[in-house]
Amino acid sequence: MKPLMKMLMAAGAAVFLPLMGTSAQAADWPAKNVTLVVPYAAGGTTDILSRRVADLLGTELGVTVIVENRPGAGTTVATAQLARVSKRDADYRVLMSSPGHTVGASLYPLSYDPVKDFRFIQNVIDIPNVLVVPAKSKYQTFEEFVAAAKTEATSYSSPGIGSSIHMSGELFKSKIGAPNMTHVPFRGSGEALPALLAGDVDFSFENLPTVYPMIKSGQLRVLAVTTNEPSPFLPEVPTVKAAGVAHGLGDFATSAWFGLIGSASMSDEAYGKLQVAVNNVMQSQAFNDFLPQLGAIAGKESGDAFKAMVERDINQWAALVEATGLGE
Amino acid sequence: MDQILEVLSLFLSVENILMIALGVVIGVVIGAIPGLTATMAVALALPFTFGMEPVTAILLLVGIYKGGMYGGSITAILIRTPGSPASASTLLDGYPMAQKGEAKKALSMALYASCIADFISNLSLIFLAGFLAQLALSFGPPEYFWLICFSLTIIISVSGDSVMKGLVAAALGVILALVGMDPVYGTERLTFDNFNLMDRINFIPLLIGLFAIPEILEFYLSRAREHIQTAVAGADMTWQELKRSMRTIIRGSFIGVIIGAIPGTGATAASFISYSEARRNSPNRENFGKGEIEGVAAAESGNNAVAGATMIPLLSLGIPGDVITAIILGAFMIHGLTPGPILFQENMNLIYALFCGIMLSSVVLFGTGKLAIRYFSRIADVPKQILFPIVLMFCIYGAYAVNNSTFDIAVMLVFGLVGFIFNRTGFAAAPFLIGFILGPMLEDNFRRSLLISNHSFDVFVRSPIDWFFIALTLLSLGFALHRYIQSLRNN
Repeated sequence: MKPLMKMLMAAGAAVFLPLMGTSAQAADWPAKNVTLVVPYAAGGTTDILSRRVADLLGTELGVTVIVENRPGAGTTVATAQLARVSKRDADYRVLMSSPGHTVGASLYPLSYDPVKDFRFIQNVIDIPNVLVVPAKSKYQTFEEFVAAAKTEATSYSSPGIGSSIHMSGELFKSKIGAPNMTHVPFRGSGEALPALLAGDVDFSFENLPTVYPMIKSGQLRVLAVTTNEPSPFLPEVPTVKAAGVAHGLGDFATSAWFGLIGSASMSDEAYGKLQVAVNNVMQSQAFNDFLPQLGAIAGKESGDAFKAMVERDINQWAALVEATGLGE
Repeated sequence: MDQILEVLSLFLSVENILMIALGVVIGVVIGAIPGLTATMAVALALPFTFGMEPVTAILLLVGIYKGGMYGGSITAILIRTPGSPASASTLLDGYPMAQKGEAKKALSMALYASCIADFISNLSLIFLAGFLAQLALSFGPPEYFWLICFSLTIIISVSGDSVMKGLVAAALGVILALVGMDPVYGTERLTFDNFNLMDRINFIPLLIGLFAIPEILEFYLSRAREHIQTAVAGADMTWQELKRSMRTIIRGSFIGVIIGAIPGTGATAASFISYSEARRNSPNRENFGKGEIEGVAAAESGNNAVAGATMIPLLSLGIPGDVITAIILGAFMIHGLTPGPILFQENMNLIYALFCGIMLSSVVLFGTGKLAIRYFSRIADVPKQILFPIVLMFCIYGAYAVNNSTFDIAVMLVFGLVGFIFNRTGFAAAPFLIGFILGPMLEDNFRRSLLISNHSFDVFVRSPIDWFFIALTLLSLGFALHRYIQSLRNN
């Protein structure tokens, strides 16, 4: 074979072989390691649980699931990156999405469509928020609290603007109609909790795992949980939804959820296999042993139901942000 | 007796001791690399602790925390690159010392000050946890506001020759810290519609840029200038020097303990306050910023005393005071333990075992530090034309690694240029940094105070703590004014 011919063939191979590789990849997915993007800095709740899920998912898929932290602008930086991911990588990049995705849609200028640009795989974990007051608070029951909050000046803490805790507060305020309710934002729960324990603010919709030790030790009193069903950790505590029907809270349900999403260009093959794998992880003993340690429950919504939930949340927060003039 | 035996059986195991040592070593090395912080190391180590015994797991993480706190000082002293934000004040005197050929002396002082402070901090954790936790809870937004007002007076101490220039630099720092989303209304401030600026300017790239890059630029712009340091050959610290700095170290330790016990203020503020107090009380005041060994002692005792003390709100209240303790809280929960009063009631033995380990970590830190000085101080012997390209590479990587963001590299380079201009025009970088860190805290707590009080200014004088810090602030300003008038008279 002439040297020139050899070179041309080699060049041809260099161009076409990778393409053949791509088509082969889709058939026997996963052919390489999968990256799980965490839209928060290393060390937070999302990070801890993502690393645990990545670990279990890796065992299930037989490849390593690498956790990559990409924080910024309330999760929207990482989400924008996923929306732009190349078709080649789309099957190997998933994101641990959270309420930041739905709240961010109305707080930040987005370069992507928060619904159409993604495939919604599975809501993995739900962390309930709880309505807590300091131990020395005069409010003993949810009923007393709501009645007072409608007329008296009250304040609530949150770990920051746009957090699920802040949005729960805003939603609550708008539903019961409490003109004198003030939001006091902190930077992170570590700063917000002392103000709550000391009674500088009247209440908060904190994540259950964060305040669980303080509830147990009697430093905080829990008046209600924000999920649809009562929490298995606090079975005797009513839901806001059930206890607040008379106050227009009959459809009040918020939680910090964590679910896997991929880019819209993810292949059906990868999408289907990921869904099966995540479901297997969620059935596993290891996962179910780990959940209660975080005060969490397994997410229910999968595929289209997950997508519908995200859509509903986006609309709910958009209406709320519009009504409260947040970010203007 | 039974309890003591049980505690010892919980604590005395090969794994525990190994993990403390491993943690401290990892911490020192990671802490010494610019951009790689103890926070990242603790977060990355966390998944490895899932399978360990709870005591072992927590001790590994605490070891990394403490090692990282000290490790940051090594590169701050040797190459003017703070390995962690809290060691920014260490370089104020540490680097000039290294330039004078006293790198070894500075590193030794940093180690002794760190270990003594760490030890005092541990003792406070064990004996004063209850008291300090109550103190932490009596700090609401107005009390923070005054604490930060007082802290801002340290700008006077770190401004170098001109307080006016220091104030200008601090104001610039405050303005840049305003970039991002308004903390209360969510409106965009000074973001110029740039997506990357919405979450504020990232602190670590700014820090690396401000201090490390100007040094590299200076080197290439004035290669003819003598830059030689002879660290290893340089003299070690003498007992006399340690004795002279002892007051400073103990003062710094207590400042660190109190700041550490109050969530949300942090090691960087503690080290600057300690530095400023040391300068105010030192007979060698004029020498601060030019290579004063007491400056290194103050900075390092201030930041290392924070590590043990941040465990106070964590263990006794279940509240993490900083990001690292938030991760450690995660580790507790993963193991089915919930820090707080309940832990003290139900798992007292575990707490005691942890205390034993934490005490041991101070000793291990000392040994590791001694070794680290021996090897790291050789960095000072590497010719600058080889060292600086490597440092630059680490800086770029470090800036990128914080958030995996190329924008942060640009941030670092821009602040490199800012730092360079500061150097050339006689502005000090430290006030800029203090403005950048404390400015937003002041704003946050001012606005929070008014929010919780329904816009009544009475809230700012609601407790004795407020008055205490108001008095300190006034004293601090009065003292500075007094010195200024004195210097005018002398001239």
